[in-house]
Amino acid sequence: MSKLLEIKDLHASIGGKEILKGVNLTINEGEVHAIMGPNGAGKSTLSAVLTGNPAYEVTRGKVYLKGQNLLAMEPEIRARAGVFLSFQYPVEIPGVSMTNFMRTAINAKREYEGKEPLSPREFLALMREKKKMLELPDKLNNRSVNEGFSGGEKKKNEIFQMAMLEPCLSILDETDSGLDIDALRIVAEGVNRLKTPENASIVITHYQRLLDYIVPDFVHVLADGKIVKTGDKSLALELEEKGYEGLSL
Amino acid sequence: MSEIIIHSGERFEQVYLNEPGLDLHFVQEAGSTLKIHVLNIPDGTSGDRDIEISNNIVVEQIGEGCETEIYALAHLQGEAHVTTETHVKHAVGGGKSNQLLKFVLEDQARGRFIGDLKIAPDAQKVEAHQTNRNLLLSETAEMRTQPQLEIYADDVQATHGASTGQLDESALFYMQQRGIDKEKARQLLVGAFMKEVIEAIGEQHSAVREQLLNAIDGVVE
Ligand SMILES: Nc1ncnc2c1ncn2[C@@H]1O[C@H](COP(=O)(O)OP(=O)(O)OP(=O)(O)O)[C@@H](O)[C@H]1O
Ligand SMILES: [Mg+2]
Repeated sequence: MSKLLEIKDLHASIGGKEILKGVNLTINEGEVHAIMGPNGAGKSTLSAVLTGNPAYEVTRGKVYLKGQNLLAMEPEIRARAGVFLSFQYPVEIPGVSMTNFMRTAINAKREYEGKEPLSPREFLALMREKKKMLELPDKLNNRSVNEGFSGGEKKKNEIFQMAMLEPCLSILDETDSGLDIDALRIVAEGVNRLKTPENASIVITHYQRLLDYIVPDFVHVLADGKIVKTGDKSLALELEEKGYEGLSL
Repeated sequence: MSEIIIHSGERFEQVYLNEPGLDLHFVQEAGSTLKIHVLNIPDGTSGDRDIEISNNIVVEQIGEGCETEIYALAHLQGEAHVTTETHVKHAVGGGKSNQLLKFVLEDQARGRFIGDLKIAPDAQKVEAHQTNRNLLLSETAEMRTQPQLEIYADDVQATHGASTGQLDESALFYMQQRGIDKEKARQLLVGAFMKEVIEAIGEQHSAVREQLLNAIDGVVE
């Protein structure tokens, strides 16, 4: 099993305040890692730093994606190299249609991989296929990115984009929050269908419920900017029962 | 100044695309409709970067029940400078006017909007709206907005709104996270901002509307 992502002693801050205080994590191809932890622990900060959000400053540590220095890459290069973030709070982009947005994104990735751009016909066929998988409406194409979408629709739309882009590392930041029971199942099935022996995911969640569908190989607890405990899927059950307070560190 | 009379009950719509400057005076008779689109959107090549353009648009509603729509869009680079002045006068009541003016300014470009709106003392039941939205894409670009509202009638609905901002950083990052480079992401956001004005062009001028929309979107959707 080869290493996909290696995070070593990662420290990061925002507005001069240190949020990540030495995160270490190695993810191999084919693995699913759940990250749980109290509000404000730094879970979304970790996603932001891995994807190169310019609001955050990395003050120490290294991150390698397939052996390459991830932190030296521009955000769009990380994305084309296969890092995908399903945002905790997806952004609305009025006036930019899903079609135009998605085609630009997918062709940028293909160009990076040395592939020809998709023809409009191929592109639309791919959109149709992936929309169907997530049970998204046809009219999605002409709608502006996330504009006026309900909370659950936004989360579905994130996984739809993941399905379109086929990343090697997907980070799902509370993708389950705001989903109704059916949507949760659809989203989780989507994620499971996208799983291959070569890719991996980081699933950030507060609830065991999602992990019933997307079964993790490892569960980590992130608290106060560090991973304080790692276990298998039973750790999530233990947390559900006892809370973070009851955690024996 | 050329004076154009829109006769009673008539409808006039015109697109002024990249004119070197306009000086228009419209007089609207009762029940007429005027819709104009003033677009200063040069493609940013060579000589366009230091253009100086001044648009002066005067509209007088002299009959009751007129409608006026003014759309203006300027996208400027380099040292380009566009001043657009609108003088809308409701001399009589029962009319409507709506103005939407957008400026996108890059580099050292400068934009200026002077929006003069008059509602005469007896011009009751007038509905007049003026909106100016601007996007500054560099620290050195500059926008000046000078609304001049002179409203002498009391039973009217008149609004004025102006805002100047930058591109939404979180939207830029969201697009980058999907693999779109920053320059392309900026183009998409600027296009989205400009579209609203272009989409207002009516069916009569649909050819130019579609051509401009395609230029923004790259291809037909
Ligand atoms: N701009 C900022 N300036 C200062 N502190 C910030 C800023 N943005 C976020 N923080 C702080 O960073 C900490 C970590 O936030 P983060 O969003 O990573 O938490 P989280 O683990 O994802 O929490 P949640 O479970 O609520 O989503 C929080 O204490 C938050 O208040
Ligand atoms: Mg979070």
